[in-house]
Amino acid sequence: MKATKELFQEFLKKGIEDEKKQIKLPEHTVKIDELDRELTLDRINNLTDSLIEMIFETGRPAIRLPSRTSANIIWDEKNDLLLLGRQIMEKQFHSLASVADITRLMKVLEKINELLLKDLHATKREIFYSAVQLFGDQKNSDKCIEDVATMLYTTRNSTHIVASAKGSCIGRLRIRDKNDIIDLEGLGSGGWTISPMLDNIEIIESDAEFILVLEKDAAMIRLAEARFWRKYPCIILTAKGAADIATRMFLKRISKELKLPVFSLVDSDPYGHYIHSVYLRGSKRLSYESPFLATPDIKLLGVLTRDLEKYKIPNDCRIPMNQTDIKRTKELLNEGFVKKNKEWETDLKLALKLKVKAEIQALSAFGFEFLTDQYIPEKLSTGDWI
Amino acid sequence: MKIFHKKDGGIVQLIDKEKMKEWPIELPLIFIEYIRNNQLNSYNDSKLKKEIEQYLDEVLKDVAIPGLIKVLDGDNFEETNKALVRIDELAKKKIELVKPIKPYVEKLVKKENKEIRKHSNSILESFTKADRRKRLAEKRKIMQEREKEFLAGKISGEEYANARKEYLILKE
Repeated sequence: MKATKELFQEFLKKGIEDEKKQIKLPEHTVKIDELDRELTLDRINNLTDSLIEMIFETGRPAIRLPSRTSANIIWDEKNDLLLLGRQIMEKQFHSLASVADITRLMKVLEKINELLLKDLHATKREIFYSAVQLFGDQKNSDKCIEDVATMLYTTRNSTHIVASAKGSCIGRLRIRDKNDIIDLEGLGSGGWTISPMLDNIEIIESDAEFILVLEKDAAMIRLAEARFWRKYPCIILTAKGAADIATRMFLKRISKELKLPVFSLVDSDPYGHYIHSVYLRGSKRLSYESPFLATPDIKLLGVLTRDLEKYKIPNDCRIPMNQTDIKRTKELLNEGFVKKNKEWETDLKLALKLKVKAEIQALSAFGFEFLTDQYIPEKLSTGDWI
Repeated sequence: MKIFHKKDGGIVQLIDKEKMKEWPIELPLIFIEYIRNNQLNSYNDSKLKKEIEQYLDEVLKDVAIPGLIKVLDGDNFEETNKALVRIDELAKKKIELVKPIKPYVEKLVKKENKEIRKHSNSILESFTKADRRKRLAEKRKIMQEREKEFLAGKISGEEYANARKEYLILKE
């Protein structure tokens, strides 16, 4: 654990220094705030007041909000984040083209106002069902939810619209959920289901020294059965596949508040590397929320393409890459954040050269305990990560 | 977070007491009890344990007790009542936690509000029961010692009978 211990001490020192200074975003990007219930309600009231004023003054109200098109998504190299630029789009109430859109937007705003006043949370699906005929398809209500969040310059969680619970977390962490204290070591092998209502969650105690993010639930089961965190003081979490908002936000929260290094263990394929990149710098769709969702210091622990040779993963456990895998790997190699990280670039190029991929479970070829007893400990102690 | 350093280079992080000031009033007490009962022994470091004990005492002194007193001493009956309900629940589970606020509860028994009187009396009853349990345990211990002495022929039957009588009276 030598290398991990050193990294832990470095993060702890850096974290204490960073606490004093706030993250500075580039001037030409949109600044989003995480707000409490009252401040979000204030913003809604200000917005509706300005609409009423426009109705009285011009009779032609309109809503201005940051554009979320890919042309307005900027990669902030310094902070390693995907952010929203300052391009603004206008939705007019009096235009036939936007009347359906604006009515849906106002319905979502009304629902958010109701949720905040009652201090309740709802899922995106519930919002869709609150006016099925108006929305027609959940895609429309989902889009409006994101539009309202950007319109209010806040995160989606601040609007009390949450995604269904998906991820889980286990290990050396104690949290408070309203009036209950939850011990994440004492919840059996399933761990704690990461609550999408993160505004109710507070970290109260931890003696962890690092955080391990797993792509797969199967790997989580293996580590939970081995009670991995007892020997290696850590917090383990998984989003069970693609990284959802609640899991990313929770990871961001624990890594920032506890000042701990974060490692990810994903499949050795372009999809696994993409999942790692979403944890690292955010997704394009939710780029406006990146500062609250991304963990820019996350290290890619494995499974790396170079590990396949190093650990002599048998050929029958390696899967040949298909055309989609090759295309995706090439796309990743074109991303600025990959080009910036030479080791990562080299590993992806090696994958392209060998044209093979492997799942985390391929390590079970050496026995079920290989992952917990040898692979992860060895990589953590030697600092073999990207 | 408040950071405590272990001898082996590791750390323990506990939530800052300033953040606890925004919590529901009974929660800091539950937090203190939780860390003392469930976490403290797992740290395996006596110096660290001492430092954390000190911090928990600070939380009790600076956050938990003032929070409760502020509400109990205030004029808002609704708030006072809500606090008393929570304190009543806590008192039934662990009386030591609410010991410092006993004098404030004693004052509330004289209030006109029926609900406040009811809950204050219930809390004070928990104190009485706890006190009785403590005294009973002491008497039981004495009686058991006397029993051994009596069986060993060190004291008379009368002396043993007296100890047993005292215990049984209190028990009834």
